[in-house]
Amino acid sequence: MKLKRNTMLLLLPGTVLLILFLFLPLLSILFPTFFNEAFTIGKYVEFFKDSYNLGILWRTFKISMIVTIICVILGVPTAYFMSLTSKRTRSLLLAVTLFPLLTNSVIRSFAWITILGKNGVLNSFLLSLNIIKEPVGLLYSEFAIIIGTVYLFLPILITTVLGVLDNIDGDLIEAAQTLGANYFKSFTKVILPLCIPGILVGSMLVFTGTLTAYTTPQMLGGNKNMMLATMLYQEASALGNWTNAGVIALIMIVVTLLVMQIFNIIANQFDKRGEDENA
Amino acid sequence: MGFVELKNIDLSYDGSKYILKDLNLTIEKGELVSLLGPSGCGKTTTLRIIAGLINPNSGSFIVDGENLTNVPVHKRNFGMVFQSYALFPHMTVFDNVAFGLKNRKMDKNTIKEKVGRILEVTDLSQFAGRFPKQMSGGQRQRVALARALVVEPKLLLLDEPLSNLDAKLRISMRTEIKRIQQKLGITTVFVTHDQEECFSISDKVAVMNNGDIEQYDTPENIYKYPSTEFVARFIGFDNFFNVEKANYHNYKDIFGHQFVIDYEDSRTQAVATIRPDDIQVVPEDSNMNSIKGIVDVRTFLGDSYQYEIKTELGKINVNHKSEKPYQQGDAVYLLMPSNKIILV
Ligand SMILES: Nc1ncnc2c1ncn2[C@@H]1O[C@H](COP(=O)(O)OP(=O)(O)OP(=O)(O)O)[C@@H](O)[C@H]1O
Ligand SMILES: [Mg+2]
Repeated sequence: MKLKRNTMLLLLPGTVLLILFLFLPLLSILFPTFFNEAFTIGKYVEFFKDSYNLGILWRTFKISMIVTIICVILGVPTAYFMSLTSKRTRSLLLAVTLFPLLTNSVIRSFAWITILGKNGVLNSFLLSLNIIKEPVGLLYSEFAIIIGTVYLFLPILITTVLGVLDNIDGDLIEAAQTLGANYFKSFTKVILPLCIPGILVGSMLVFTGTLTAYTTPQMLGGNKNMMLATMLYQEASALGNWTNAGVIALIMIVVTLLVMQIFNIIANQFDKRGEDENA
Repeated sequence: MGFVELKNIDLSYDGSKYILKDLNLTIEKGELVSLLGPSGCGKTTTLRIIAGLINPNSGSFIVDGENLTNVPVHKRNFGMVFQSYALFPHMTVFDNVAFGLKNRKMDKNTIKEKVGRILEVTDLSQFAGRFPKQMSGGQRQRVALARALVVEPKLLLLDEPLSNLDAKLRISMRTEIKRIQQKLGITTVFVTHDQEECFSISDKVAVMNNGDIEQYDTPENIYKYPSTEFVARFIGFDNFFNVEKANYHNYKDIFGHQFVIDYEDSRTQAVATIRPDDIQVVPEDSNMNSIKGIVDVRTFLGDSYQYEIKTELGKINVNHKSEKPYQQGDAVYLLMPSNKIILV
């Protein structure tokens, strides 16, 4: 597509803003990580040599992946169900879905502390039912991080997928049915393939969101279950080591970009409706 | 008993207002039947009941002696072509057409063979690998048709399949549909609100009004002998006036004008009607089948003029070809040939 120069001008304010307030500060953080009298990647080699760091990198990736998968498994059917309900029920459900987004993430994490803690709601409940003899340590674990983050990002996935589902022409489903597809088949063969691009966009948001989340892992994960974001904060704030923080920042950026690229490739695989080849 | 029978069908979407009331329709095997009627009269609703996409509030639907009223859509084995075509955008033409066969768990080779054959019939073989987005309107329409036909449905349902095409393509596609339908001998219900399209391809036409079938007959009979005023108006009759039978084929209007009407009818009171095209404008009175009038409005139609003429019977519309058009205020006589007047 050819854009007129006038149209390009519309990008100017945004571009200036990004350069001044994002790229320049970013460069000033990243620059020292490559420079110690001369150009060096020593800091990065150091990072990857340390098995403690690798553990955190792996945990971050793993938790992000698990959270994304759980969100998809829980979110897609929910979105599909919502798309089938009447207008009124649906706006009610949507309000309920979006409600968590209206509360501050610190408060949400506190809620989970109340639920998961040793003296928390869940433990008291299980104790009172005699299912467990002693309170179990649910809090400050990967499990707690996963639960808290799923709770945080599920609405995003649901709304993204719902938006895509709404745009699927109802005639397509009816056509599938007249052609002998039962409800399950019309879902798997028609609806699902058509909303895979939406699922991927949603997953991408959840994945990058989890990867960079700070509050939830900090509050629910504790010091034993650090993730890249919490480690970055610790390096910068507690230890004052901005160079190491910069290293972690770049690693996070690279991982995010890589994963986004992979998602894009998958999305293109599924979304081959022949838009680019012209008849 | 017919091949397809709709019996006493009632339908209401909201439980209070009935869209279809006691609708009955019988279709013989191999026939192409059209549902014709103005917008909102319930054509699509009737078709969707046949397809099983909506359930009637009461009544039954029978095909080939089998009561299908409560059989779900996906078990009916009908082919349907939607007005929007509803092609699956994520599948190639081949996969779109093969979809119904795959649901029937056929083996790969049979599917390949059947799809290949129907693509040939619909002249789409060279497009098998394309996606719907890469096809023209007419081609998509044929894909939709091929997809519905390939499963060898008991019944083919078409909801205004030609309405998105331009005039020229409409004509060639409707001939195409008729050709394929006849070749495969497939019982077909065709929904349209275009009279010409409907008459040209149907074996029978059900003219619908307000959720009811007003007349169900061959196109010829409907064209010549509409049975109600609504049907008459819908297919181009105009100029309605009350007449009373004197004797035999002799009738009188309320002002005593005499009309000879060839139409066979036993009633003593009836409404006479005639198409604007069939009225002749003559300069002199003849004592039968003619009335006097004054030209009120003249409109140019291209190959003729349309006149609105004030008469004792009210306004009469006439289409008239003449070199020298009449002017407003001219006194004329209108001759209504005895074989062109019908009674409803
Ligand atoms: N899903 C629905 N809910 C409520 N009312 C409906 C629904 N679908 C159709 N109707 C109403 O039922 C009546 C018949 O609609 P239908 O679609 O059968 O008309 P149609 O004859 O196909 O008209 P058209 O030629 O415009 O397609 C209309 O008054 C319409 O407003
Ligand atoms: Mg309709």
